[in-house]
Amino acid sequence: MQLVLQIVANGLLIGGLYALLAVGLTLIFGVLRVVNFAHAEFMMLGMYGAYWLWSIYGLDPYVSVFLITPVVFLLGVAVDRLVVQRSIGKPDVTVVFATLGLSILLQNAALTLWRADIRSVSTFATGSVFVVGGVRLSVAMTVSFAAALLFALGLWFFLTRTMYGKAIQAVAQNRRAAALMGIDVKRVYLFTYSVAVAAAGAMGVLVAPIFTIFPRVGQTHIVTIFVIVVLGGLGSVPGAVVAALLVGIIRAGAGFLIGTAWGELAYFAVFLLVLIVRPQGFFGRRGAEVYGG
Amino acid sequence: MRISDASPISPAGARIAAAAALVLLLCVPLVVRDIYRLDLGITVLIWASLATAWNISGGFAGGLSLGHAAFFGVGAYTSTLLFLRLGITPWIGIFAGAVLAAMLGALLGVITFRLKGPFFVLATLAFGIVVHIINVNWRGLTRGAAGLLLPFRGGPQNMLFLNLWAYWYTGLGLLVLTVGVSMGIERSRLGYYLVALREDEDAARSLGVRVVRSKVIAAAVSAALAACAGSVYAAFIQYIDPDSTTQFELSVQIALVAIVGGMGTTFGPVLGAAIVIPLGEMLRARLGGGAALVVYGFLLMVIVLTAPNGAIAGVRLLVRRLRRLIDSRRKADA
Amino acid sequence: MLEVRNVTVDFVGLRAVDHVSFAAEKGQIVGLIGPNGAGKTTLFNVVSGLIRPTSGSVVFEGQDLSRLGPADRNRKGIGRTFQVVKPFGGLTVLDNVVVGALTRGQGLVEARQTARATLQRLRLDRFADTIAHSLPLALRKRLEVARALATGPKLMLLDEMMGGLNPTEVNETLSLIQELNAEGLTFLVIEHNMSAIMRIAEKVLVLNQGAVLVEGPPAVVTRDEQVISVYLGEPIESA
Repeated sequence: MQLVLQIVANGLLIGGLYALLAVGLTLIFGVLRVVNFAHAEFMMLGMYGAYWLWSIYGLDPYVSVFLITPVVFLLGVAVDRLVVQRSIGKPDVTVVFATLGLSILLQNAALTLWRADIRSVSTFATGSVFVVGGVRLSVAMTVSFAAALLFALGLWFFLTRTMYGKAIQAVAQNRRAAALMGIDVKRVYLFTYSVAVAAAGAMGVLVAPIFTIFPRVGQTHIVTIFVIVVLGGLGSVPGAVVAALLVGIIRAGAGFLIGTAWGELAYFAVFLLVLIVRPQGFFGRRGAEVYGG
Repeated sequence: MRISDASPISPAGARIAAAAALVLLLCVPLVVRDIYRLDLGITVLIWASLATAWNISGGFAGGLSLGHAAFFGVGAYTSTLLFLRLGITPWIGIFAGAVLAAMLGALLGVITFRLKGPFFVLATLAFGIVVHIINVNWRGLTRGAAGLLLPFRGGPQNMLFLNLWAYWYTGLGLLVLTVGVSMGIERSRLGYYLVALREDEDAARSLGVRVVRSKVIAAAVSAALAACAGSVYAAFIQYIDPDSTTQFELSVQIALVAIVGGMGTTFGPVLGAAIVIPLGEMLRARLGGGAALVVYGFLLMVIVLTAPNGAIAGVRLLVRRLRRLIDSRRKADA
Repeated sequence: MLEVRNVTVDFVGLRAVDHVSFAAEKGQIVGLIGPNGAGKTTLFNVVSGLIRPTSGSVVFEGQDLSRLGPADRNRKGIGRTFQVVKPFGGLTVLDNVVVGALTRGQGLVEARQTARATLQRLRLDRFADTIAHSLPLALRKRLEVARALATGPKLMLLDEMMGGLNPTEVNETLSLIQELNAEGLTFLVIEHNMSAIMRIAEKVLVLNQGAVLVEGPPAVVTRDEQVISVYLGEPIESA
């Protein structure tokens, strides 16, 4: 029983961190109809940002997150203008491979600039653990989890409570109608993309004390994020959160029960199965897979 | 059949050009003595075949696959394992690999034919990763990350040669096979069906085109040819491991080669390999692996954003201009 | 020839087609009219097999089609056009029609001949080598018909052929329909151009909010008060 609780707790913590990435990815899909293959690269950049500010200036990631997130936001603005916006409305091959190309570019730019060395950041929380009801929790994980949750809540509040958020939702529902209502669709795209990748960057900073940092780190996580957003229904924000927590728990459980590698295989198989049987995911609207292109 | 922009080359003209190119390629080992260049040439031939295979389902049928490395890997491992474990020559193993890949491809086709755009892409990506994970972890069969070494036993009857030129001709044979199949499909009933489905599935169905059958056949043929390329690759390099056969990056590069050259056309992917592979090699030598991939990523982005019809469209435009020029000269003379 | 039996189609939170039944006899031209959102195109999608009805069935030449997809229904003899035209944009006009001819089991050479003959018949032969997406709308609509005709249908579903056509083009289209009809082709025609449909249809179905409002000869339908009220009280100009 203790063990089950421990696994669930670990899974929830990691799932919460994934949620921040997944919410952004699913938002970009829902609004722009683009699968952002480069999404996890922004997390990677956030991680490196945290690393350099920490190793050069001794800045704690929990502080530098407030510096790095706006920078990644601006980077998102540039990428949206130069790449993403130009691919919208073009054939599938353009939409898919533009961000895939960007992902290859960013990964290898990082590799060239910063080498393949594995780096890590240690903070006051590194290595320390606290115990709740017999369950041991990493302090770093818990702090990052809480921060991620705050970010996600802020995003949700923004989407549902502000005029701008409502404009974004209107575009997600029907871009033509939204345009007719006088909403500047292009600006909504720009804003959505930048906010979403900034969230990924923030997540990168927050996990810098937990995960090892290397140029291809995005790639090791992006597929898990794909699994999450598809399970939750591409385009569904609440779906992404629930699926992220679920995948976190499944990962932790499967990793313990059948070993990491085969556990990974198991959830890819589930992913494939979901795509085939219920491509709209568990929370997505039916028909999304048809009009999804 | 004419696709995208009207081809300036008549089918007969294309055939003559292809025949001329083939004669030139046959002469290459007689002219090129430099081992390094010939080695690169063989790599280009294998990549050209692989991209051509991808193009049959990715280009003609429009199913952008990011899992084709799986089929390449199935080919490489099947022929290699049959040779290592049972002593069966890769000349036979290549067919076994093709059949196995065709079955896998058909299975993937059956389960994904309904999916559109990004959903199809993600499904093929997941499929590729599943195969890669199995490859890495089924150590009893594949020896996992340690890889498999092909011992040099028996020589030509086992697709193992001492001379590079022999590999060149093997690679060329592979290319002739894949391009031949691709041309055959392009000019066949199936070719018309695939392009019709790609352009508008509902309209195609309403005209009597059967979706599942057409897409599954295309997927199976595409997978089988990719597997053939895998078997030849294994015999050429004589060492295979998961990273060099089933990795996700490989799947991306297969699609990249076809797209840069021009997907949906028979010769686009071949042109793509002739451009991308030497360019990559040169960049790697000058700048190192990471920087080379930066250029790859940039190239991919720029091509899909500005010239989604690929390099072949440029070639066609050039041929058309040249023709017009010659025509106008002739008229002026007359 | 065609029998639609009690067909209902439910979309999420919306009944698009509500217990519709009707029949078309061989050689008839049946008109399908109604305001936007009345369920006309949805009904076409049910007949051609692109949508499965929530309940009800479609019977063609005595055979229940419920288990057949659109491709097989076409092979049984049902051809259709689309309101929002769907040409194979990257192919030439000729190749568009070749696709239709090929599914009838013809070889490539034979299919090209059939396609050329079909194009000639629809006066599209001048455009045989034009890339389909560069055709003007009126010609793209004609291409839709040519493609479907090449499959040798017995029943043809035309979805708003006249929209955006000028009076001359409308007359041309009407005489083409009548010509083909004289050769034995049965038609089911969705049309907004009321005067056009009234001139050729033997029977007209008025759909409103997914259900059949009135069914009968054009002369009767145009005088029906319910129909007049659906069309905002405007008396329908009839030929």
